[in-house]
Amino acid sequence: MEDYPEELRMTPVSLVSIVGCPELHPSISAALSSQQPPMNTLALPDFSKASILARSGKARDPLAPPQAPAGILKKDWLLKHRTRVPAAVAALFRADQVSGDPAQWLQACSDLENLKSAIQGKNTKLVVVLVQAQASDELSEDVTVALRKRAEIDSRHMIVLVEQDETEWSRSLSKLKNVFAELCSAFYKEEGRRIKARIEKRNFSSVELSIRYCFKVAVYAEFRRDWPEALKFYEEGVRVLREMIGTSTRLPPTQRLVEIKAVAEQFHFKISTLLLHAGKVVEAILWFRKHIRSYERVVGTPEVAFLHWEWFSRQFLVFGELIETTAATVPDTLSPRFGTADNALTEWEFQPAYYYQLAATYLREKRYAIECSSSVANLTTEASGIPESVMPSVYVGQYVRLFEQGDTVSVLPLSDTEYTSYALSEAERFQDSYEIIALFRKAYESFQSLGATRMASACSRGMAIEYYAAGDFSNAKQLFDGVAGLYRQEGWTTLLWENLGYLRECSRKLNFPKDFISYSLEMAALPLFSGSGEENRENKIKSGPGGSPTISRRENIQQEVINVLKRKQAPDGTNDEFDNAMEETTHLDIDQISPLRMVLTASVAFHDQSVKPGSPLLISVSLLSHLPSPVVVDQLEVQFNQSDCNFVVHSAQEDSPPLDSNLHDQVVQATSLTLFTNKWMRLTREIKSGQSGKLECLSVKATINKHLVICCHAESPASMEDFPLWKFEDHVETLPTKDNVLAFSGQKLIQVEEPDAQVDLVLNSAGSALVGEIFIVPATILSKGHAVHSGELKINLVDAKGGGLLMSPREAEESESHDVELLGVSTVDGKELKEEVDSIRKIQYSFGVVSVPTLSEGDSWSCKLEIKWHRAKSVMLYVSLGYSLGSTEEEALLRLNVHRSLQIEGQIPLLVTHQLLRPFRREPLLLSEIRSLGGDDKKCSLAMNESNMFIVNARNCTEVPLRLHSMTIEPDDDGKQLCSVQQVSGISNGHAVIAPSEEYKGIFSVNPRASSSNFHLGDICLNWSRDSSLGEDQETHVIMKQRLPEEIKYSLVDSQNFVFSGAHNHAAFILPKSEHIVSHKLVPLGSGSQQLPRITITSVRYSAALTPSTSAATVFVYPSEPKFNLETSCSTSDECVS
Amino acid sequence: MASTACFVIVSKNDIPIYEAEVGSAPKKEDLAHQHQFILHAALDVVQDLAWTTNAMFLRSVDRFSDLVVSVYVTAVHTRFMLLHDSRSDDGIKSFFQEVHELYIKIFLNPLYLPGSRITSSHFDTKVRALARKYL
Repeated sequence: MEDYPEELRMTPVSLVSIVGCPELHPSISAALSSQQPPMNTLALPDFSKASILARSGKARDPLAPPQAPAGILKKDWLLKHRTRVPAAVAALFRADQVSGDPAQWLQACSDLENLKSAIQGKNTKLVVVLVQAQASDELSEDVTVALRKRAEIDSRHMIVLVEQDETEWSRSLSKLKNVFAELCSAFYKEEGRRIKARIEKRNFSSVELSIRYCFKVAVYAEFRRDWPEALKFYEEGVRVLREMIGTSTRLPPTQRLVEIKAVAEQFHFKISTLLLHAGKVVEAILWFRKHIRSYERVVGTPEVAFLHWEWFSRQFLVFGELIETTAATVPDTLSPRFGTADNALTEWEFQPAYYYQLAATYLREKRYAIECSSSVANLTTEASGIPESVMPSVYVGQYVRLFEQGDTVSVLPLSDTEYTSYALSEAERFQDSYEIIALFRKAYESFQSLGATRMASACSRGMAIEYYAAGDFSNAKQLFDGVAGLYRQEGWTTLLWENLGYLRECSRKLNFPKDFISYSLEMAALPLFSGSGEENRENKIKSGPGGSPTISRRENIQQEVINVLKRKQAPDGTNDEFDNAMEETTHLDIDQISPLRMVLTASVAFHDQSVKPGSPLLISVSLLSHLPSPVVVDQLEVQFNQSDCNFVVHSAQEDSPPLDSNLHDQVVQATSLTLFTNKWMRLTREIKSGQSGKLECLSVKATINKHLVICCHAESPASMEDFPLWKFEDHVETLPTKDNVLAFSGQKLIQVEEPDAQVDLVLNSAGSALVGEIFIVPATILSKGHAVHSGELKINLVDAKGGGLLMSPREAEESESHDVELLGVSTVDGKELKEEVDSIRKIQYSFGVVSVPTLSEGDSWSCKLEIKWHRAKSVMLYVSLGYSLGSTEEEALLRLNVHRSLQIEGQIPLLVTHQLLRPFRREPLLLSEIRSLGGDDKKCSLAMNESNMFIVNARNCTEVPLRLHSMTIEPDDDGKQLCSVQQVSGISNGHAVIAPSEEYKGIFSVNPRASSSNFHLGDICLNWSRDSSLGEDQETHVIMKQRLPEEIKYSLVDSQNFVFSGAHNHAAFILPKSEHIVSHKLVPLGSGSQQLPRITITSVRYSAALTPSTSAATVFVYPSEPKFNLETSCSTSDECVS
Repeated sequence: MASTACFVIVSKNDIPIYEAEVGSAPKKEDLAHQHQFILHAALDVVQDLAWTTNAMFLRSVDRFSDLVVSVYVTAVHTRFMLLHDSRSDDGIKSFFQEVHELYIKIFLNPLYLPGSRITSSHFDTKVRALARKYL
């Protein structure tokens, strides 16, 4: 925009001129330019200078036929109107000049005449100003009238300025300003109308004039600030101009087009400025679009295409700058409607960056065009040469040649050929690249700040291509790298391909063989399948040095890499520059996020999850490459975190496999190591596992063509990511291993277990344990090959039925008692050991830790675990021995463990029952009613002061013989008072041996001394031990206690109507839900409804009584026959009271 | 039929899964390249615009000289992007809608992995037929 002349860029400002009284000029021009709208002043110090106002052009012969105009717009026309053609001229006279001396008066008159003649033929208005010192200096009326007459002006245009008085001065000045404003407006209106009339009457000889008139009318309208009219005529001018392209024949075609475009540019600039300054952003953009569309295709001949693109680019640049300077914002009403039918504009079109980017793009187009043109021009115009002294003509967009012949200088028109070579030589002088880069950078920064990363990277790519074209490869490479990152991430492979093509060339030019190889390999591995594109020159320019993305090209690129590696001269000799920079071998590192993962991926899976140290294990190494041609791998090196396990696979095709210095490596020969595109190469090898711990495969190094080493980080098949770029709908997913399970769950690391313990732990069980005794479990540690250092024995008791704890939760809350309890661990060996042991002995109810003394090979050590059962329960006993092989620190780290477990049943040793034998009953009884009581029936009542027999049976329920030491009844306090208990038969010889499932009977005599419905006889105590045949040296005495049964009693009350037989009071034992029948024989004494004798049943324990209701105990007795033997039997069912 | 039209389906993670030059103009590799380039840059606008409107069809979101980018955003944020020079909005809209149906059919295929490239020749033929019909 800065290239445009100032008069085009600024809004036209009215011009007035003042002549005479130079001392007043500064204040008057200042006052006029501060006016709104401002006026420029052309100040002429005295009247002799007035001649410059006169028309400068040659007087045209009015009779001559109208000549065709030589151009559309004169370059200086606008400037002329802004600086040299005033709308009004003011002649300043001092009052004393006109009123005093006649000589002065005459001078003033002649000056006025001169001025009038200077503005003769123009519409320029004349104003006469009289300058007075004081307001009171009244000029005589006839002087002013005479002056007015002389000047031929209206009285309004005769102004008096008062110099001395401040208020009078400003008042008169403002009057002058008003007059000027009025006259300016009238002048420009008149001028405009004059030209407009010509347009309307079509009073012009050529199209050029029509356009010129439009321009003039519009400019005059601008002078008047009549924007709509200005816009209208500018648009009209553009329309006519566009139509002119095909019709005009005045100039040779190329120059004609250049002129038209130059004029169109001016028109367009004016229109855009007017629209944008009026805030009509949308209209401006739409106008711009129209402008672009109408000139886009007007390229002209191919030789001058660069002129078109330069011009085209400038349109974008200028419009972008205009938008930026007017700070156009997106109208609020528009922003939510982008992309909808009622809005044709896009969001970016409001951003200057959009235009800069396009300007840069088209400028690049110009660069391409110049390249084409110059190569052609060099061949053809070499002979003719570039014409000299070509200069812009007076018309916009025209060039002429100055021709000197002696003293006369004439202007000659140019031919198209001359012009073309001139333009080309001019264009070649400029370095467009820097401008393109600057424009792209401007756009890039702007888009970046808008958060549009893709647009920004598009600009970044533009910059990079320019740097590349300008030969600045390091900058280009840096920018291309950044852009490639985005395309990789988003998988736009075609774009990535182009980018990589540039990067590859940059690396070649910068002599970076490693980068060259990696970019080439990445390109070769891109998923591009488009058909074989024709390679042509234009194509190569536009799609970059990578060429078109085809399979054959990918194969070529792969071959190029191989050639570089082999130091082979390529057919076109492009890669010889690498010779210095090439190292012996090139290392490429490929990890899981590397873009080169497509080139080579290594998946490693162990076949097992864990392995013993030193034992063989299988490992599968699978390699996948997406390179189009088969890749021959010379050598494959698999590396582990334990370097002992590393192994190398050599291809058998190689004649002499190099001896590897690493002695640890296992060298394997394989028949062929060739990777075919998109097919897994699978190798399964057996290796020896190393030390215990984690064994992880780190990387797989493939050596290709001896000089390229690709180091792939090993990936587990289970956690392997797929290739986002190589995901195709019809692409069969191949698995790294043949075994499907391994392909989905295989891991690249394996756990090497600790070595087998060579120490035996023996737990001897002595059958099942008996409740109450202290059960001994001997544990023996036998060293068979390992010395035991800092050994530790852990003992754990767990409920065999599960649940872990050896007591129910309820019990745990209530008491501290345990069903099974670990009482302690006793050692058999010497006392000195025991002291040491004691220090770390830790025994809890179900858990214990005991340290084991240091044992050398072949030694043994044993201890005894003392466990007591409180209830019959099955228990798992877990014993584990942990030890290390030595006492040094590193040996201590490696601990070996031996685990043993044993299930032990807890059993109740003796089952105790009892039986009471009562003495013969002596009460009178009806024998038929007495029922015999079963022997096992526990309910009984004892005769007072009689000796009752009490028999206790103890039955051995175990499988081992038991020894009974004593059996006693220990009466409690109640029992002692109420009865005496004596043992009738005791245990002879100190103990009695009870064989399994045998019974021992103890007989006691019980003699109650007082009548009591309920009492405790006492507890039965048994003292027993295992029969010593087992070799135990400690006797276990067990005391068992059992409760005696209780009584329930009932009583019958006499009734006056009946006599009955049987006891009045009696007691009985009733089991829950059982029935007990009490029978009495009744003899009624009267007839009718009679009350039966009342029965009351009392539960002794709960002191609860039950009496049947009266109705239930009423019976109707019929009057008797003479025979007196009627019987009524009544049975009452006893309720259960429990 | 439009002389230039480049149609691309972009998956929701911005990867193009289907590309086709459906214009009647003779195919040129470098142009295809340029078209993709324009479409990729237009993703920025689509990204902003897609969340501001309920409409699936976003017409002329971006333009590059006389080429216009129109976009159709599906519910799962797969974008059908068309670079075209024709002015028939209704045709483009119908084209998008019919391609959407085709795309859903592809999606219904249990063997199709969402996000992978569509290489079905049947789909390709159908899309080209639709382009001939509507564009």
